[in-house]
Amino acid sequence: MPIDLYYLEASAPCRSVMMTAKMVGVELNLKKTDVMAGDNMKPEYIKMNPQHNIPTIDDDGFYLNESRAICAYLVNKYAKDDTLYPKDPKVRALVDQRLYFDMGVFYHRFGLVYYPVMLKGATKIDESAMKDLEGALDFLETFLGQNKYAACDHLTIADLSLVASASTFLATNKTIFDKHPKIQSWLETCKAEITDYEDTNNRGAEAFGQWAGAALSKLESA
Amino acid sequence: MPIDLYYMSMSAPCRAVLLTAKMVGVEINLKTINLMQGEHMQPEFLKINPQHTVPCLDDSGFVVTESRAICAYLVNKYGKNDKLYPKDPKDRALVDQRLYFDLGVFYASFADFYVPIMFRGQTSIDASKRKKWDEAMNYFNTFLADQDYAAGNHLTIADLSLIASASTMEAFIPNIFNDYPKIKEWIERCKSQIADYHDLNQVGANIFGQMGQSALAKIQ
Repeated sequence: MPIDLYYLEASAPCRSVMMTAKMVGVELNLKKTDVMAGDNMKPEYIKMNPQHNIPTIDDDGFYLNESRAICAYLVNKYAKDDTLYPKDPKVRALVDQRLYFDMGVFYHRFGLVYYPVMLKGATKIDESAMKDLEGALDFLETFLGQNKYAACDHLTIADLSLVASASTFLATNKTIFDKHPKIQSWLETCKAEITDYEDTNNRGAEAFGQWAGAALSKLESA
Repeated sequence: MPIDLYYMSMSAPCRAVLLTAKMVGVEINLKTINLMQGEHMQPEFLKINPQHTVPCLDDSGFVVTESRAICAYLVNKYGKNDKLYPKDPKDRALVDQRLYFDLGVFYASFADFYVPIMFRGQTSIDASKRKKWDEAMNYFNTFLADQDYAAGNHLTIADLSLIASASTMEAFIPNIFNDYPKIKEWIERCKSQIADYHDLNQVGANIFGQMGQSALAKIQ
């Protein structure tokens, strides 16, 4: 029975779930949830997810939000083996650390730079927020010096979550990784390995990039 | 087989790790890193943890950061059973969701509110940030409407992470949960079940609270 995914393809967290489901081999029933139009504020949606954010899944009456919890759940429950989310406590700890890093530092700092422009009408980029974002990129560059992939020697849900984020950054700002060669080559490596990458991530990242580009074109010139 | 924890007691995420280690029964070698004095930027610490954050666990050379990843690791590796972090995928998913909620919404909205006041010299209350924090507390209160614990019907690392956060909020503004009765009840319920709660969590929360309250006193 397919799992319902309430999503928007421009949303990076939604795409990490799409990539994970595809790689695990779980069928998703995609339900577009336009948060700009208030689809997430309808009573039926709030019943499933009082936080009314996306993504949310409905697995035959089991509701879950938080993309990284969903990705972990899909592997824990449905994957043929634990490759994408290894059970070994040490490896899993590193995957978990990268997932929390993605939420709390990497994607978070990107949002602090670009959301004021895209969502709140800011007409300038906050320079200190941009500096913090560059710091986050430096951290990922360092992590990628420790292992070939984000958390270990093969692709895991840490990569899927971070690729969803990083691809979004790149679609927003084509030069963002110019000083981060390890991030660039890791992105290329992952793209080649992620099943149906165009459908599960690339198209949505481009959609985000277009939305961001429209807002960024209205910035005051420096 | 020493396990070192680099930490500061006023830091809520550090205290979540202390509570978890105690409940799992793992002995931790505590190493204080004073962030205010820049000790996290010392070369020796940067070598261990290039992200220079606390908490940071060093388990005989295996280094983990991010408090919630550390808590999960301690149960996965050393727990006698899986009660604190159930292995059943659905049960675990709910714990995970609460942990991400704590990082990204609950504690995050509180940090957005207090960081400018405590560390950036802001002398006014930002009403929109207070509103976001109230929304977060309201979500948590809602989660607790039909559950005795954060992620189901018994204590898990979700409770340990969230109570480190919640106790810190309460130390900062003592009546903060007056409008959120389910959170108040949950705090009392958890306190009675967490080993060494006062020493491992309340003391550190109070240190944070003192610092926070003297910053609040400067608000016009």
